[in-house]
Amino acid sequence: MGLSAVASRVATRAPVPVFPVAGLGARAAVDDLLVETRLRIVDTPAAANVLLLAGDVPSGLAAELARLHDGMSRPRTSLWWTLGASVRPAIRCPTEVRDPDPSILVDAVVDVHRRLLTGELASSYPQLPDEDAAPWRGIGPYGQGGTGMTGGVPYGRPMAEVAPDRDGLRLDQLTVRIGPFFARFPTGLVLELRLQGDVVQEAQLALPAGDVPMSGVATTPFGDALGVPVRVSVLEVERARSHLRSIASALVAHQLGSLAQRVLRLAGKVRPGDDHEIERLHRVLRRSQVLGWATTGVGHIAPERLEGTASGPILRASGVARDERADDPVYGGLGFEPIVHEGSDARARLAQRLAEARQALELAGRAGELDHDPESPLESPRGRLAAGDLPARRVLPLIPSLLEGMEWGDAVSTVVSLDLDTDEVLALHATDPKVSVP
Amino acid sequence: MAPGVAVVSVAVAMAIGVYAVAVIDGIAGRLVAGAGRRGVGVVLDPPRTVVLLLMQRRHRTERADAQGWALAPALLGGLAATGLAVVPVDRGTAVADPGTGFVVFATAIAFVMIAVFLHGWSPNSLFPLIGAYRYGAQALSLQIPFLLAMLATALPAESLAVMDIVEAQGDVWNVVRQPLGLPIYLMVGVGVGFWGPLNLPDGADLVGGTSAEDAGTDRLAWEVARAAMLFAIAAMGAAVFLGGWWGPLLPGPVWMALKTLCLLVVMVASRHLLARVRIEPFVVACWAVFIPLALVNIFVSGALLL
Repeated sequence: MGLSAVASRVATRAPVPVFPVAGLGARAAVDDLLVETRLRIVDTPAAANVLLLAGDVPSGLAAELARLHDGMSRPRTSLWWTLGASVRPAIRCPTEVRDPDPSILVDAVVDVHRRLLTGELASSYPQLPDEDAAPWRGIGPYGQGGTGMTGGVPYGRPMAEVAPDRDGLRLDQLTVRIGPFFARFPTGLVLELRLQGDVVQEAQLALPAGDVPMSGVATTPFGDALGVPVRVSVLEVERARSHLRSIASALVAHQLGSLAQRVLRLAGKVRPGDDHEIERLHRVLRRSQVLGWATTGVGHIAPERLEGTASGPILRASGVARDERADDPVYGGLGFEPIVHEGSDARARLAQRLAEARQALELAGRAGELDHDPESPLESPRGRLAAGDLPARRVLPLIPSLLEGMEWGDAVSTVVSLDLDTDEVLALHATDPKVSVP
Repeated sequence: MAPGVAVVSVAVAMAIGVYAVAVIDGIAGRLVAGAGRRGVGVVLDPPRTVVLLLMQRRHRTERADAQGWALAPALLGGLAATGLAVVPVDRGTAVADPGTGFVVFATAIAFVMIAVFLHGWSPNSLFPLIGAYRYGAQALSLQIPFLLAMLATALPAESLAVMDIVEAQGDVWNVVRQPLGLPIYLMVGVGVGFWGPLNLPDGADLVGGTSAEDAGTDRLAWEVARAAMLFAIAAMGAAVFLGGWWGPLLPGPVWMALKTLCLLVVMVASRHLLARVRIEPFVVACWAVFIPLALVNIFVSGALLL
């Protein structure tokens, strides 16, 4: 056996670096992959050998998907985890996994990676032609142009220009696009930013029009509850899980990946009446400062700006006790009282979700056989839900003005604290190409 | 010490240190995560990952600064080796013991900023560049308290030679003499090694920051260099604050190894226990709190000696 054969045998036993893209109906399944010790979920395509496309990745993102693929280092391959979706991704995936069971997916990823390293499976070719997107038209050896700073994005390349910063100094300003596969944001969210250092000077939402097929997408209990009676205990456990997953995303954004794994494991196994587990989690989060200096005062939204826009935990974290469940006689019978937090910042929103997760498990423990009536108003984990009235559509327009003047680290914490749903953001691609900015 | 022996000893020490960082990180991560595969994975995953990264091809961006990209991890690793070389293992045993050992170490720490900036600048890409800018602000603010905390330890020894600083701790360790010193040193040491809560240049909000475009050997070299830097900081901390080789019963080098390991555990585990700090409040805290505290530490240490 040659040296390279030995090396590839050793390497196949290392955790497989995977860059996941969560399409429609795939966010929760993709988030849960973080707990798989045989995979290493990486934040950047350059570090990955396997591109995992999960669910339905809209064809409107084809060009960005090709660029993402070409950003991976070799040997590389793409794998499609269908999760019930029927429309193939825009780039070729030699491997498809139809089983929604994560352990079968992990087996498949490990196997694909092994074949890739031993040369059984060919590394995939670039999707885009290997040439500059536009010619370099400068005078220097690197194509840089003439004198001074041009600014803007000439020939698709961000170039700095000078502009006054917040202290009145004239410093470099860079125009960039972040998304739609930025690892910290929901898939499909694209921000156009003007950055000075890592301070956001100006932010705009860019949601390109695209074609989002809504068929064949896995539905959640809350989607079902719009049409048919669903057990209250099922809804409340699902609410707790959703909140815990949101907290796990926040932990990853605050560089506490292993704590996020713990929270995701908890989300996977919570049962009605498990509220004491959340209590313990609350202490850990306080000690880690995720509910302390890391989030206090970050992403403050004045309560009056939330009037008529956000609902759900974001609104309640600003001290407004509005919850659709309060008007539901079934919840009234369970002694439901809305929880509120003061502060309206990222810390308050995290604490709000944690408290609501605990309350949800408590309610689920007491709800027994009760059903939610589809005629009653429905409070999803992200706020009021009705057909055609998606919480993300109300929250997204808040983002641009919220981010202006923030350090990038705080901007990420803020967007994460809004808990935007990937499915809802992707759905907006189809229905509303331009979100009005108030 | 013959040059060949010196180079080999530093390389071996660094290899052990880097492996220790990887294993401690793995164990701490699993403990905090609360489950996962137990047993051999923790000790075998690091070498497996090394082989995987050796097999992964490097990634290239448009018009990258190839020389800078290759130089940055080499510079960081070289600085870690330089720092490590002046740390004494036992009385009279050090790879290098210049009369200005403290200055050599301090210089190595100061140059870390250059390595990180170069690493972020070279790929000609957004996130690495932001990480590079960010580390400029971070490093300027935290290196002053770091060096002030260390400088205070030279006062009781009345020497800048690290061997003398350890020798002077025979009856009482500096951690007792200067209780403010070690916490400041460790906290800022985590920042100099841009690790865990103070990993701002390679942070999660920048999806990897200066190393966002790294793959294969580039990534491997950078990770190894960073772990070596953490190890060098832990070893120096053990020497100047925890009395180096001093200790009962066990031989000096064993004490030195145990104390280094102890500090390494504290620094490495912070990654799993504390959230990323916000850069702006952190910079303010450095200038408004830690530099004055470090100065108080020096004045008090000096006054006690008079």
